[in-house]
Amino acid sequence: MEEIIGKNIKMNTVREIHDAFDSGQLSPVALTQGYLEVAQKSHHNAFLTFCEKRALAQAKVAERLIAHEGQVPREKFPLLGIPLGIKDVLTIDGVRTTCASKMLENYVPPYTATVVARLEAAGAVILGKTNMDEFAMGGSNENSAFGPVLHPTHSDRVPGGSSGGSATAVRAGLCVAALGSDTGGSVRLPASFCGIVGMKPTYGRLSRYGLIAFASSLDQVGPMTQTVEDAARLFEVMAGHDPLDSTSSLRSKENFVRTCLTVPDWSRIKIGVPNEYFVSGLAPNVEKSVRTALQWFESQGAKLVPISLPHTSYAVAVYYMVAVSEASSNLARYDGVRYGARPSLASETGDLATFYERVRANFGSEVKRRIILGTFALSSGYYDAYYRRACQVRRLIQQDFDEAFKTVDFIASPVSPTTAFRLGEKSQDPLKMYLNDIFTIPVNLAGLPALSVPCGEDSEKLPIGLHLIAPAFQEGRLLCLAHAFERRSA
Amino acid sequence: MIEVNEALTRKVMGLAKLKLSDGEVTTFTAQLQGILNYIDQLSRVDVQGVGSMTHPFDEPTPFREDVVCPSPVDTEGRPKTLLSAPDVLDGGYKVPSIL
Repeated sequence: MEEIIGKNIKMNTVREIHDAFDSGQLSPVALTQGYLEVAQKSHHNAFLTFCEKRALAQAKVAERLIAHEGQVPREKFPLLGIPLGIKDVLTIDGVRTTCASKMLENYVPPYTATVVARLEAAGAVILGKTNMDEFAMGGSNENSAFGPVLHPTHSDRVPGGSSGGSATAVRAGLCVAALGSDTGGSVRLPASFCGIVGMKPTYGRLSRYGLIAFASSLDQVGPMTQTVEDAARLFEVMAGHDPLDSTSSLRSKENFVRTCLTVPDWSRIKIGVPNEYFVSGLAPNVEKSVRTALQWFESQGAKLVPISLPHTSYAVAVYYMVAVSEASSNLARYDGVRYGARPSLASETGDLATFYERVRANFGSEVKRRIILGTFALSSGYYDAYYRRACQVRRLIQQDFDEAFKTVDFIASPVSPTTAFRLGEKSQDPLKMYLNDIFTIPVNLAGLPALSVPCGEDSEKLPIGLHLIAPAFQEGRLLCLAHAFERRSA
Repeated sequence: MIEVNEALTRKVMGLAKLKLSDGEVTTFTAQLQGILNYIDQLSRVDVQGVGSMTHPFDEPTPFREDVVCPSPVDTEGRPKTLLSAPDVLDGGYKVPSIL
């Protein structure tokens, strides 16, 4: 990026970029042009759509605001001129939104997701829409109808999914930060695989208005950034009640950036280490990095407490009943009538069932597999044994966390049992792929906030993520803990 | 433990309004059997007296005023909702005749 705009400026973060704006070394338009040029030339397939005109118009507005320094309250624009990528599961008025599916290949929504609108109102520049697993279903980003995203540093590896385009874009320097969505780990897993920060907030903390639904009781939008501080900056802008989302919390906004930057009182912090998250199947180098991270917390004065989350081993089974059941219902809307693809062959039939079948042939294999599984779980004769039972075990998983948080402030674990695996390594075995999410899924089932922060690399220099989990609505303290860890060697 | 066969896959396929090729039916049947075998572990959990959790959101639903809002239109006054319609006629959605 420095080479593109011909300046020797370190600008990975919001703060560094704003310093460069303020010193006159850099302008929002030059920065946006530089990022667009790099992202458009990139071979990673991280972006599906660029909003070039819109981005440059936003950058010009930022430039005018900077030129009127003193007349414009800068605190109203905490993301002024910051170029972002947006996962293509979030709608933007007038910008193609595909969910990486042939079904929505040409869909142009008439409204903007609340979280995106809030970022734009804070001065952000939206560069474009990032690639993902189709309808956010996948853990490797190999399920996109528009081709897989490449890992930012290891071209034979997956970037993780489903927000793989956002993760690669941030790590490869194609944007400053990005948004992802996390239904079972889709922000945290790619953040871990790519070596960036990814946070899933408490369910209800960020509006889901404009987030195209996969599994409505699990989906949450989350920031994906180079640093914890930037995650706090994006999160603070997006948080707050939205009357357009009936599951948006009424809790008032907090100053998450300020809380993030405070020094923790280590003597009062207890970190739970769940026995069930350090079991066979965990790669030795992942375990070593996470244990080293735990020792660092202990060396600062925090207390490590062994805990048990006894229903952890059931989480993947619960998730794949709950998520697919909700998906089969949510994706029933794709009928080729009001929006979405309608192949010419579909219009040639006079039979409604055949019409739907021809329209819905546009779904990819993983989406079809999950719709079939979800339809089965909700069908007469199987509902009680599968969907209802899964919802009961979900309650037990939530109760495990409730019990644990009576004695600890946070829970720490690996994000994933392994580092980024090879392209194609798990794509033929759906169950093997699903098990990759074993440490992230329980958090979604319980609706808790959690994040991934880089904690090391394996012998092949592949990043490893530390998973930190907090009680509901404790994102400020979670960010503070993660920020302190991130700064450990500074 | 449930036995998944191709007849069951085809039945669910019909309920889901999906058409699968014969090859996909065979592949999906085997994969579904594997996934459901894994999910069968839930039958071992004691859920006696445990309430269902369908949602993690426990705050009361805030209601908005029931106010009619105009649909968004483009610069030429056309409803934006029609811009991505597969087919339109006289300002409405055009669908194939099914009768």
